[in-house]
Amino acid sequence: MTSAPTLREGVVDLVVDDVTLRFGGITALDGVSFTVAPGTVHALIGPNGAGKSSCFNVISGLYRPTEGRVRLGEQVLTDLRPHRLAALGVGRSFQNIALSPGSTVRDNVMLGRHSLTRGGFLSGGLRLGSKTERKHLARVEEICDFLGVADRLDSPVSALPYGVAKRVDIARALACEPILLLLDEPAAGLDGTETAEMAVTISELRDALGISVLLVEHDMGLVMGIADRVTVLDFGRLIADGVPSEVQSDPAVISAYLGVGAEEEN
Amino acid sequence: MSDTITEAPPSVPRPVAAPKKRNWIKIAATVLLVLFLVALPILTGSQVAYLKVAQYILIGTVGGIGLTLLVGQAGQLSLAHPFFLLVGAVSYAVLAGDPAESPGLVGLGFPPLLAVIGAVVICGLVGLAFAPVAGRLRGIYLGVASLSLVFLGLWLGQSLELFTGGTSSGRPPPTFELFGFAFSTTTPAPTIAGVPIQKQQRLWYLFLVFALGAYFLARGAINSRIGRSWRAVRDNEAAATAMGVNVARVKAGAFTISSAFAGLAGVMTALWLDLVKPDENEFTGNYSLTVAIAFLAIVIIGGLGSVPGAVVGAIVVYGLQQFFLLGANQFGWFADAQFGGLSAVILSAFVYGAAVVLVVLFEPGGAAAIGRRLTSRFTPRKER
Ligand SMILES: Nc1ncnc2c1ncn2[C@@H]1O[C@H](COP(=O)(O)OP(=O)(O)OP(=O)(O)O)[C@@H](O)[C@H]1O
Ligand SMILES: [Mg+2]
Repeated sequence: MTSAPTLREGVVDLVVDDVTLRFGGITALDGVSFTVAPGTVHALIGPNGAGKSSCFNVISGLYRPTEGRVRLGEQVLTDLRPHRLAALGVGRSFQNIALSPGSTVRDNVMLGRHSLTRGGFLSGGLRLGSKTERKHLARVEEICDFLGVADRLDSPVSALPYGVAKRVDIARALACEPILLLLDEPAAGLDGTETAEMAVTISELRDALGISVLLVEHDMGLVMGIADRVTVLDFGRLIADGVPSEVQSDPAVISAYLGVGAEEEN
Repeated sequence: MSDTITEAPPSVPRPVAAPKKRNWIKIAATVLLVLFLVALPILTGSQVAYLKVAQYILIGTVGGIGLTLLVGQAGQLSLAHPFFLLVGAVSYAVLAGDPAESPGLVGLGFPPLLAVIGAVVICGLVGLAFAPVAGRLRGIYLGVASLSLVFLGLWLGQSLELFTGGTSSGRPPPTFELFGFAFSTTTPAPTIAGVPIQKQQRLWYLFLVFALGAYFLARGAINSRIGRSWRAVRDNEAAATAMGVNVARVKAGAFTISSAFAGLAGVMTALWLDLVKPDENEFTGNYSLTVAIAFLAIVIIGGLGSVPGAVVGAIVVYGLQQFFLLGANQFGWFADAQFGGLSAVILSAFVYGAAVVLVVLFEPGGAAAIGRRLTSRFTPRKER
């Protein structure tokens, strides 16, 4: 659970630098700074409404920060138009599965190859790229195999159980060949067994691919089990940032997050 | 497509993508169908009216394919199709028109093939010009906004008489010609199996080539990168963006391509009618609101986004209308007062209107879904 054994080439650090995000009167993020070191599994946690998804959306370019910036290595992500990020190696999954329900698993995951391929209406219509298409399809099948969904390649996503669809969403993010994988609540809606499997998958893919993973998660067990580093948000402010054991014993975290959890359980 | 496959995760390599089994039933059915279409002028013989019905269905097919790509695949509702039909028809007449033959009208005298291509490109560009609107509006709002183009077409058609020939007389579309071979009646005419291949037979083959080309291009596009980006934009723009899709560009592109298909259908309409004539009002005519609804019906009956479905939709919607008209002209249907003034066009609208209701109630996937269910009994593996 230390840093990754073999780092993939080109994996650089992600620096969130003093990011503030306001929606009208609401301050969703308030001067948040942290760094995702190359090849680590980094968790972003916090109670409901803490600003985790907002932070994710700033990193992936869907929201523009009011102040501050996000860098991936030398590249300032917050200056770019959001669709450019995939080509730079940022892949993300969504809290609520955001797949095309009527399309097959294969078709959905192939979308992840979008920024790695070229071609528009005429080249598609005239089937000019069908050879490279097949190569990419083979890679997609490999990725699906890695996530254990290879047997469902031809099923429409709408026919899949939630847990499987969740994995397809991650497969699609991996199909971008990311150096940084963003996972928004990968275990949300999963049962105990599925959550445990998901934890194994996340560590495995980090080890196998040597990429960085930034994940948002509610499930404390999963976070503490696989994260190399944990950043805690509360009401848009960063209240702790460290290795899991440090963060777990941080009084601010206990009162903000674990405290709430304990109350809920009573 | 570039080639950027990077190293694989160390998973056990397994034999993926087993060689695709050829589906002989499907191939045989396709061959039979194409043979039937090629032989149709011989089957109809001297009954040219039937051939005209079939030609009209192909117009609906080409336009319907264009609209199903836009509405069904890319998720943009458009009622502007008739406008692009009009632009296509007029562009063809203007580009290929011979100024000596039609004095007082603008004609550039291009070779007809070039004029067809030009008309399609012009329609695409006009569609692209609408992209800023299409990119900002969604669903029913886009539908209503696009409807305004039909009214714009009505007004332009009536006021730009130099191009359109005006509502009273219109202008004749130049005869289509390919390397000196005219798509018109000649003596002597070549014959196939004793049937002379004259203007209508020649037009049938021309339309068949257009329709097969449109079908082939659309199917290929749907199964490729562009088709995936359409569906991604339709289903979730945020996810599409995260996967590297430039949403605004894809939307604009879809509108462009759909308009180009409509433009080709417009050229076909001009050749079929042997006339380019703007409508007198917005409700009836070849570029009217009725046509906008008819195309939407084609797309819904066929199943949103399905290319073979659009063909079925065109048979139901465009075929029925011409079938009833044929009955009216040849056998005097609807002539009696007992029909209460029901015309062929209105009756066909009732029938396809009912078909739309039935589809929406019982099989929202349309003809495509019915077809999938039927063929899945015979085919070993499902498509896309
Ligand atoms: N698009 C938006 N417009 C206005 N306010 C927003 C928007 N997105 C988020 N917010 C607000 O920002 C704050 C942070 O929300 P965010 O979704 O980032 O929290 P979260 O930590 O992901 O919560 P959860 O655990 O429930 O997913 C909340 O107060 C939320 O209401
Ligand atoms: Mg969230």
